[in-house]
Amino acid sequence: MISDALLFWFLAFVTVGSGLAVVLFTNPIYSALSLVMTMVGVSALFVTLGAYFIAGVQLIVYAGAVMVLFVMVLMLFDLKQELMAFSRGQITGALKVISAGLFLGLIFGIITKRSNLSFVDKIPSPADINIDNSKELGTVLFARHIFGFEALGVLLLVIAVGTVALARSKGGTHAKH
Amino acid sequence: MPIGGVIFLTIFIAVFGTALIYLARLTGGMRKNNSAVKKEVYECGIPGQEKKDTKISVKFYLTAILFILFDIEIIFMYPWAITFKEFISKGQGAFVFVSMMIFIAIFIFGLFWEIKSKALEWD
Amino acid sequence: MGKDLFEVVVNCVKLLAIFLFMVQAVPILVWLERRGSAFIQNRFGPNRVGPLGLMQLLADALKFLKKEDFAPEAAVRPLFYAAPVFALIPATLAYCAIPFSIPLSVEAFELFGQSWGPYIFKMQGYEMNVGIVFILGVSSLAAYTIMMAGWGSGSKFSLMGALRASAQIVSYELALGLSIVGVIMLYGTFNLTDMVMAQQGPLQFSAFGKVIQLGWLPNWGIFYQPLGFILFFAAAFAESNRLPFDLAEGEAELVAGFHVEYGGFKMLMFFIGEYGHMLIASGLVATFFLGGYGIPIWTVADVRAWLGTMFESPQTVDLMTMLIHLVSYLTKLAIFLWIFIQVRWTLPRFRYDQLMELGWKTMLPWALGNTIVTALVIYLVS
Repeated sequence: MISDALLFWFLAFVTVGSGLAVVLFTNPIYSALSLVMTMVGVSALFVTLGAYFIAGVQLIVYAGAVMVLFVMVLMLFDLKQELMAFSRGQITGALKVISAGLFLGLIFGIITKRSNLSFVDKIPSPADINIDNSKELGTVLFARHIFGFEALGVLLLVIAVGTVALARSKGGTHAKH
Repeated sequence: MPIGGVIFLTIFIAVFGTALIYLARLTGGMRKNNSAVKKEVYECGIPGQEKKDTKISVKFYLTAILFILFDIEIIFMYPWAITFKEFISKGQGAFVFVSMMIFIAIFIFGLFWEIKSKALEWD
Repeated sequence: MGKDLFEVVVNCVKLLAIFLFMVQAVPILVWLERRGSAFIQNRFGPNRVGPLGLMQLLADALKFLKKEDFAPEAAVRPLFYAAPVFALIPATLAYCAIPFSIPLSVEAFELFGQSWGPYIFKMQGYEMNVGIVFILGVSSLAAYTIMMAGWGSGSKFSLMGALRASAQIVSYELALGLSIVGVIMLYGTFNLTDMVMAQQGPLQFSAFGKVIQLGWLPNWGIFYQPLGFILFFAAAFAESNRLPFDLAEGEAELVAGFHVEYGGFKMLMFFIGEYGHMLIASGLVATFFLGGYGIPIWTVADVRAWLGTMFESPQTVDLMTMLIHLVSYLTKLAIFLWIFIQVRWTLPRFRYDQLMELGWKTMLPWALGNTIVTALVIYLVS
C-alpha cells in the first residue's frame, strides 16, 4: 500500500525531526515543546501499527501528563544561567564530545551488527490493524501479568510519598509552622 | 485508516489559523503610535516591573507530579474496565475484581495519605 | 481514509464541514450567551443590529478584522503567535471523533464514465476504535496552548493565569478520566458508536438471571451511572474553563488570565477553542449518558420501520433516518450548551483553594467510590 508507506514516512520524518529539534534548540522551552511533538508522533506511529490503546496511553501519559510537568517547570524559572552553562563551558564541551561519541558508536554498532538484529518477528497484516485489540491487552494484563500490575500500584504509591515528602510546604521537615 | 483524517485536519487547521492571523494582520494594519508605553505588557495602571524569574509556589509542581501518578493509575483501570464483563462471563470475575480492589486500595491509601499530610492544601 | 478517490474526497469534505460547524457555532453561542445573560440579569443585551441583534456577530467579526495586530515588547513572538492556532487543533480533533448520526449508506452509481461505490459514510469525522482514550489524549494537549500563550506573552498576569489554568485542567482531568471508568465497564467498549448502540430502546437490564424492562424510560447511561454523570459534567465544566471554574480568567484578580495580551482574531481563536471544549463536553455527556444521537425509547430499526410506512424508496428512508438522528443529537447538544450558559450566569466563582479541594478531595474519592460500587454491582447481579 503506497498510502501506508507515505503515512509511515511522513510520521517517521515528523518524529525524528522533532526529536532532533529537541537536541538542537538552545531554548529549553522549545526543546520541551519539540519533545511533545515527538511523543505525539510516536503515538501516531502506534496507531499505524494497530496499537490503538497504547497510542492513547502514549498521548495521555507522556504528551498530556509528563511533558506538561516538564513545560510547567521550565516556564517557572528563568533559565538564562542554565542556558549559558549548557551551551558554553568546558564541562559542557566534554559532555557534547562524549554524547557524540556514544551516538557514533551506536550507529557503528547498528551498521556492523545489522545481520544479527531482528526487531520484528511478525509484521501485522493490514487486516489486524483495524481490529480493536484493547480487550486482548486487558486479558493478558489481568491473566498473566497481574503481579506486575499490583507491584506497579505499590511503586506509584512510593513515588507519591517520596514526592510529597520532598516538596510539601506544610507539615513536612521544612515546614514554616 | 483514521489517522489520515487526523493528520489532514491538523495540517488544515494549522494553515487555516495561520492564514487567518496573517489576514487580520493585513486588514488591521499598523498604527502610527508605536511608543514604548504601548508596547509594555499589561499592568493595572502603574508602570510595569516585569521580571520573568517570578517565584512560583512549589505546589504547582507538586500538583503536576501527583497528577502524573494518579493519571497512570487511572489509565491502568481502563483495560480492566473494558474486560471486566468478559472475565465475569469466563468465571474469573472474583479474581479480577479482587485484584483490582487491591490496586484501588493502594490508590485510596495514597490519596488519603496525601490529604492527611496536607500536600493538597492551598492557602 | 477511504478505498478510492471519491470516498477520500467526501471524508475530507466531511472533516472540513465539522470544523466549519464548530467555527460557525461560536458566534451563535456568543450571541446566545450575551442575550441569555441579559435575559437572566434582566437587561436587554445586543438588540440593535439586525433582527434580535443577530447581525451583531457580523459587526463583531468586522471589528476584529480591523484590530491592529499587536504583540507586546516582552512577548516571545513565535509562541505568542502559535498559541492561538494551536488552541483550535485539540478541540477540533477531539470533536471530530464524536459520532453525530447513524452511518449513511450510498448505493453504487455512475459518474465520469466510471462506477463508484457502494459506500457507507460514518457520520463523524473519523471513527477511532478507542474513541474515549483518543478524545482524552487529544484534549489533554490543550494545556500546552494555555502555557504557550501564558509564557509567550511575557506578562505576569498571563503567566499566573496559565499556571492556574493548567494546574486546574490537570487536576480535573483525573476526575474526568475516573468518572467514565464506570461507563466503560457498563458498555465494555471504548468505541463511542458502540456505546450509543448499547443505549437504544427502553430501559432493560438483566439482574440475577432475570430480565427487567421499564418501557417508559429510555435505556440511557444516566440511569445506570447517575453519580458518574454528575462528576463527569462537573469536571467537564472545569476542563473547558467555564464558570464556576474559570479561575484561569478571574477578571477580578487576573483580568483575563492567559490571554490578557491578546486581541482581535487571535483572541477570537482562543474563544473558538473554549467553545469547542464546551461542544466536546456536551457531545460526550450526550454520548455517554443520554444515548448520543439515539431517539428516546425508539431504536434505529423502529425509526426506520416508521419512516418505511411513509416513504417509498429505501434511499429516502435512509436519508430521513440519518436526519432525524442528527436532529436528536443536535437537540441534546443544544440543551447541554444552554446548561453551560445558564450555570455561568447563575453560580459565583470558586476560590482557588476551594477549586483544588473540590477536585482532589471531593470529586476524586467520589469517582473512586463510583467505580468500586459499579464493579461490585456488575459482579453481583451477573
